[in-house]
Amino acid sequence: MQKILLLIRDFKPGDWIIIIFFLFFILMTIKFFLNFPNGQYLKIQKNSEVLGIYSLNQQNIKIIKGQRGVSEIVINNGKVRFTKAPCKKQYCIHQGWISKINQMIVCIPNQISISIIGDKETHDSINY
Amino acid sequence: MQQNILLMLSNKLIVFIIISFLLACDSNLIYQKKDFIFGTMIEIKIYGEDKTKSDIVSSEILEEFHRLHQLLHSWEKSSITEINQAILKKQPINIDNEIIHIIKDAQLLEKKTQSLFNPAIGKLIALWGFHSDHLPSSIPNRKKIINLVKSFPKMEDISIKDHLLISKNQNVQIDLGGYAKGYSLDQAKKILRQNNIKNALINIGGNILAIGQHGNRDWVVGIQHPRAPNAIASISLKPGWSIGTSGDYQKYFLAEPSDTSNEFILVKNQRYSHLINPHTGFPENKTQSATILIPPSDNSGVLSDVLSKPLFIETKDQKITLAKKLNINHFLIIMADGSVMISQNMLNEINWYDEPDAKNIITD
Repeated sequence: MQKILLLIRDFKPGDWIIIIFFLFFILMTIKFFLNFPNGQYLKIQKNSEVLGIYSLNQQNIKIIKGQRGVSEIVINNGKVRFTKAPCKKQYCIHQGWISKINQMIVCIPNQISISIIGDKETHDSINY
Repeated sequence: MQQNILLMLSNKLIVFIIISFLLACDSNLIYQKKDFIFGTMIEIKIYGEDKTKSDIVSSEILEEFHRLHQLLHSWEKSSITEINQAILKKQPINIDNEIIHIIKDAQLLEKKTQSLFNPAIGKLIALWGFHSDHLPSSIPNRKKIINLVKSFPKMEDISIKDHLLISKNQNVQIDLGGYAKGYSLDQAKKILRQNNIKNALINIGGNILAIGQHGNRDWVVGIQHPRAPNAIASISLKPGWSIGTSGDYQKYFLAEPSDTSNEFILVKNQRYSHLINPHTGFPENKTQSATILIPPSDNSGVLSDVLSKPLFIETKDQKITLAKKLNINHFLIIMADGSVMISQNMLNEINWYDEPDAKNIITD
């Protein structure tokens, strides 16, 4: 404790600028991510390969075959979660529901990931 | 003194860090420009180039589109309407190399599609009221339609010798409405290539051409649902591929059928779209939309614009044969009852948002 105080006393103005700047940056980043809007689509990936993009506006169960076995993903009107996974620790299931853009759950043993995307990310343009 | 210099340096360092963070954001790698030409939306997206260069190149593309709009317009004064007037007066007319190329290309495509793509039926399209910025509201005189169909104007009636164009059929009136957008895509492709732009997406009224990629993924485009205000699916366009759709939901009007002699017709508000079958003279109403993907080639833009029309117009049982004949391996056709015909190749690449229940999968 004493050492830390001594260290702080030796700080130069430049150090303070850097510290304040990064604290501010971290706070803004947290705020930015908390404010993410709800997504419109679910993206399911196996490693980096996209297996499918599905609307969140439905009640549906997706059964996906991964590296180890079968993962079960439930879409429930705007939110998504894992409900079955072929692994011991079941971390992905304990993550619960996700619904905001860029939220993501990865099941590492089975190499399946689910993420939420918004309208913008689903297509660059529209054909009509 | 030395401390002050250090302070200034650290400030500069911070600014530098902020800027590099901002530059790392994806949104700063995408350049976007929109405009309204050919009576429709134009969208240009360029990935990974600096803004000044993107600005210059997209302005060059839009300038070219304006030139083509004035060159190829079907009813406002253009090279095409000048040709049409000369044909009406039975006079030969002098045309330049670009128009010669376009007309010869259209003749070839017409032959290939058994006149289901027929850009010589301008009179018929005008008769239906689609040569206007406003949509028509009533069905034209049946006799007039039948007379025009009987005379069967076609591109083959046109002959070109030493830059002189003559038509042996006076009913020929050229309308490049189903060709000009595709041709413009191909011209845009040339401009992008000349300027060494590797990654871009051009959308002219729904006809889209992909050049390169969006960063480390392919360009993704949505496919419009013909009866709902959202996309029915999305598809990745591999580098150089293009996509085109003919649909009855862009330009259409609702009216009562003219054939009231048949008491059993209960359809009060029949849909009449701008996609007119050159063989019957009437808009085709058994299909809602036909979407095709075209692999990279010099005229892929034209093909994506032109070849969706025959597939839209052709009868249901002949569509697959026609697709095969035209070498279209990727197609998605939505019939009037909402059922879907989709080729296996297309199905492999599509991501449904609204997956249709009835799917007829065409494997070859």
